[in-house]
Amino acid sequence: MSSLNPALILVLGALPALALKGHLRAVYVLLLPVLSFLQLYTLPAGIRAEFEILGMLLTTLHLDRLSFVFAVIFHIAAFLLILYSLHTRDRLQQMATLIYAGCAIGAVLAGDLVTLFIYFEAAALSSVFLIWARRTPASYGAGMRYLIVQVISGLLLLTGIILHARSSGSIEFTQMDPGTPGGALIFLAFGIKCAFPLLHNWLVDAYPQATVTGTVVLSAFTTKMAVYALATAFAGTEILIWIGLLMTAFPIFYAVIENDLRRVLTYSMINQLGFMVVGVGIGTELALNGTAAHAFAHILYKALLFMSMGAVLLRTGRINGSDLGGLYKSMPYTAGFCVIGAASISAFPLFSGFVTKSMIMGAAAHEGYTLAWLVLLFASAGVFHHSGIKIPYFAFFAHDSGIRCKEAPASMLCAMALAAVLCIGIGVFPQTLYALLPYQIGYQPYSLTHVITQLQLLFFSALAFTWLVRQGLYPPELRSVNLDVDWFYRKPGRWLAEHAMQSIVAGEQKMGVWIKKLSFSAGTRLHRHHGPQGLLAKTWPTGSMVLWVAFLLGVYLIFYYVY
Amino acid sequence: MNRKKHRYWLDSPDNVRKLVYGLYALCAALMLLDFFYHKHTNFPFENWFGFFAWFGFIACVALVLLAKQMRKLVKRDEDYYGDV
Amino acid sequence: MILLPHLELALLIPLLGGALVLLFRNRPRLREASSLSAGILLFLYITQLLGQYHGPSPVHTLLNISANLSIAFQLEPLGLVFALLASGLWVFTTMYSIGYMNGNSEKNLTRFYLFFSVSIAATMGIAFAANLFTLFIFYEALTLSTYPLVTHKQTSEARSGGRVYLGLLLGTSIMFFLTALVITWIRSGTLDFMPGGVLEGNTQGLAAVLLFTLFMLGIGKAALLPFYRWLPAAMIAPTPVSALLHAVAVVKAGVFSVLKISVYTFGIDYLATQEASVWILWLAVATMVIASIIALSMDNLKARLAYSTISQLSYIVIGAALAWPAAALGGALHIVTHAFGKITLFFCAGAIYTVTKYTRVSQLNGLGHKMQFTFAAFLLAAFSVIGLPPFIGSWSKWLLIEGSVDTQHYIVLFAFALSTLLNCAYLLPIGLRAFFKPPDPAQTITGPGIQEAPLACLIPLCATAAATLLLFFYIQPLYDFLYPVFNS
Repeated sequence: MSSLNPALILVLGALPALALKGHLRAVYVLLLPVLSFLQLYTLPAGIRAEFEILGMLLTTLHLDRLSFVFAVIFHIAAFLLILYSLHTRDRLQQMATLIYAGCAIGAVLAGDLVTLFIYFEAAALSSVFLIWARRTPASYGAGMRYLIVQVISGLLLLTGIILHARSSGSIEFTQMDPGTPGGALIFLAFGIKCAFPLLHNWLVDAYPQATVTGTVVLSAFTTKMAVYALATAFAGTEILIWIGLLMTAFPIFYAVIENDLRRVLTYSMINQLGFMVVGVGIGTELALNGTAAHAFAHILYKALLFMSMGAVLLRTGRINGSDLGGLYKSMPYTAGFCVIGAASISAFPLFSGFVTKSMIMGAAAHEGYTLAWLVLLFASAGVFHHSGIKIPYFAFFAHDSGIRCKEAPASMLCAMALAAVLCIGIGVFPQTLYALLPYQIGYQPYSLTHVITQLQLLFFSALAFTWLVRQGLYPPELRSVNLDVDWFYRKPGRWLAEHAMQSIVAGEQKMGVWIKKLSFSAGTRLHRHHGPQGLLAKTWPTGSMVLWVAFLLGVYLIFYYVY
Repeated sequence: MNRKKHRYWLDSPDNVRKLVYGLYALCAALMLLDFFYHKHTNFPFENWFGFFAWFGFIACVALVLLAKQMRKLVKRDEDYYGDV
Repeated sequence: MILLPHLELALLIPLLGGALVLLFRNRPRLREASSLSAGILLFLYITQLLGQYHGPSPVHTLLNISANLSIAFQLEPLGLVFALLASGLWVFTTMYSIGYMNGNSEKNLTRFYLFFSVSIAATMGIAFAANLFTLFIFYEALTLSTYPLVTHKQTSEARSGGRVYLGLLLGTSIMFFLTALVITWIRSGTLDFMPGGVLEGNTQGLAAVLLFTLFMLGIGKAALLPFYRWLPAAMIAPTPVSALLHAVAVVKAGVFSVLKISVYTFGIDYLATQEASVWILWLAVATMVIASIIALSMDNLKARLAYSTISQLSYIVIGAALAWPAAALGGALHIVTHAFGKITLFFCAGAIYTVTKYTRVSQLNGLGHKMQFTFAAFLLAAFSVIGLPPFIGSWSKWLLIEGSVDTQHYIVLFAFALSTLLNCAYLLPIGLRAFFKPPDPAQTITGPGIQEAPLACLIPLCATAAATLLLFFYIQPLYDFLYPVFNS
């Protein structure tokens, strides 16, 4: 019991949930993350569990401070997400959520690359059902593309692991060199999962197509597993700073013109992941603490924002900015929670984003990355603009769309309230979170300079928004799709693949005809003795016996002669 | 509650205007605060008067106007991929 | 070892079962019971052999034709694993057949069960063959004994399929396999399977390449380009036949022979030093990719699965042709891992057919809610065949990829990756349509008419599907058992 992997409690516990019904199931599924969390808390520090397979010694459980903080937040997220999903009667989704969360926890507790790979793949496999479960043609295709991208990432990881193991002689999951072939492939595999620029499109494509609860669940785990993996393997790799900066900067342009509000949030996710990736790239203790803390806070406020949008989708059946507006009248609590999430992601003082993002920016400034710091400042203003203002504004305020609906179900409101409390709690009592972080360093987020400059940045961003809207310069919400990298594989790539396949199929058909002729001439002869009208098919295989004896005799003669 | 009669506070344009003026005032006050405290900074340009305020404003306007131009390049019909 | 002189028991048990089937031809229950008990008995016997196994046994000669030419058996790990697999899955298939054949009111069941038993006996002969000659004899016996099963329906379509089946399998084996056999005999003076091979010092360079190529083309059951058309043609048979024989016994007999010849006639090291397998490597890579693409274009469910099998068989041939211990071991494991996945897929296809009479993929939309277990099992098996963890198929794929990395065959590596993605594309939609697409309004049977297949079908398919998941965690004993074969 003492070395039981908490991940297994969730993964194996998910199966009985299928058989339970009603309140009993609700209590059971809520209890699982609690039990698992208790198990995590009682694990002694530095514990290892091992398992031998295919001649490799796997370390299936390895607890260090970085994995601990990720495991903690994954548990909190799992609990909130299960609570949020209680309204749905779709048992598949709850099961997928539990297994997915369990795999994410298993991945951050993995001590070697093979275990990590297995949990990564299992997470991909369980999570894709949250997309398919929406049961629309669009979600069917998006889920397929999502899975294919995850499998590609898995194949890169697998190949990378094999190469790395060959060159280093070890499969231990620890600091790696991205300059070696194995390291480079592993880097790329994590990069896909972490939505690096040009590799990011699976996220923007698939997440908004998931179910009401599915999108929230997806937002919590996969990308943060990747951040954890990068922080463990590639901390201090300078190229990550530049990759991260690109991630913070380019998605906000898309976010401004995107109509689907859940897609706006996925673009904003890439922006936030960019901050974490920059933190990993800087790689100092402060930066890595910042990455871990920001991941922690980000999971909560991003989940809160997605939850509020999920509630809107559930109640109105719509999620496009062009169809919504004025919903604060029908869904006041949801609107309130959304604003708290928006304030947190925008890093208002007293909200969670303020106390975590500043660590990363502080680290960038401290290490003298001037340009990086400026880009991050731009991205901070931008994130307020599209997540902080755009999301609540177009959904709950703006012009009244005339939609009147019910407030979100009680279970959803509870989940959002808890997430909101945590967002504010972290903002007000940051040292509680800091105590969980990998490194013990004194960091004080609340200084006069920091508070005032941050407020200046945010309120003048708000001023810009107000001015643009009142001047009529703000781009209207339009029903449209915006081309992104997926265009390459969804249009020309698809065309090429289809044509290549058609010619291969046609060629094979031709070959088939030729082979059939050949085999027919041989087959017909045998068939005469052996066919359905032959003796064999009716009673006893006399036909085949004759053939057999003749055959053996022939073979024997050949051998005899040769010998 | 009779929905037709109920008017929310934000439904009145006057109230919206009050909010906007409130924002203007708050911004002005925040800008002026720069006179009254000593900034602890990492980079020299942070000490410029109202640096963060200007930066925030210009960044957002540039962001929106650029994104608007980007639409010309990337915007397509909603059913462009044929799966809606 | 006490049981060794009785190794023929492995052949006798199924043959005896066949005789009982014939005896009870007018009493269906007894007939099916004798078939099932023969299966269980055989499986127990093989497990006992496994339990007593302490290393390759001495050769046990059944029939001496001339000096150095005999029908002889020997116990060694590869054959034991193959025999265990075939006999174990035979039990499941027999159970499944009872549900399927009755559910579809098939006729001529005595003939069906009889030839099924004979086929298993032939498979056992292949598994325990101590030399190439024995292997060849039972290889042909397997072709002939499965032929009446393929043409079971006795329609003109079945006849035509049967002709292709017989023509290609017998044709290639006589033209190429026999020739290769004779050449081996002339060159080395022996047909025995020996660790490290028998060709060192007597067949080098181009001769070795040609010989290996002849062998591989001759083993039509391994379904390499261009001689694989017999497998889709054989899909005309009742589904239990497709499931056990054309996903496990017959096709695996082919790739099993490929491995045997690679390991015990050529020797893995010798294959590598002579680069004898280069041509076949590329042929197998092409087969793997092309068959995957054809599978994608097939709407007929069983045809799609057949092309998928062709593609997966090439994995095993590649494993041998890479001429590297890890890869060959991966190929050997793939015989087992693919068998569990593919037999489940066929079981599901048969269950769907039994209930709905649907044969095409495009008809399956929305069926998942009526046949939850069947389609859930299908998806699990599909994940395993694709090679995703935590399913058993991922381990063999792991070793094969490791082999291609170790031998620096990066094109092969890329082909594996491509094939994995194609696997996703042609296997997953079958199960996903059923769960996540709305039922077709044009569907002829809807509503309460559709339910799960008979329990006799459902239990085996759930059992093999569960195995694809559970065996993921218990692969180590199998790995340890097979390891010495490839790493001497």
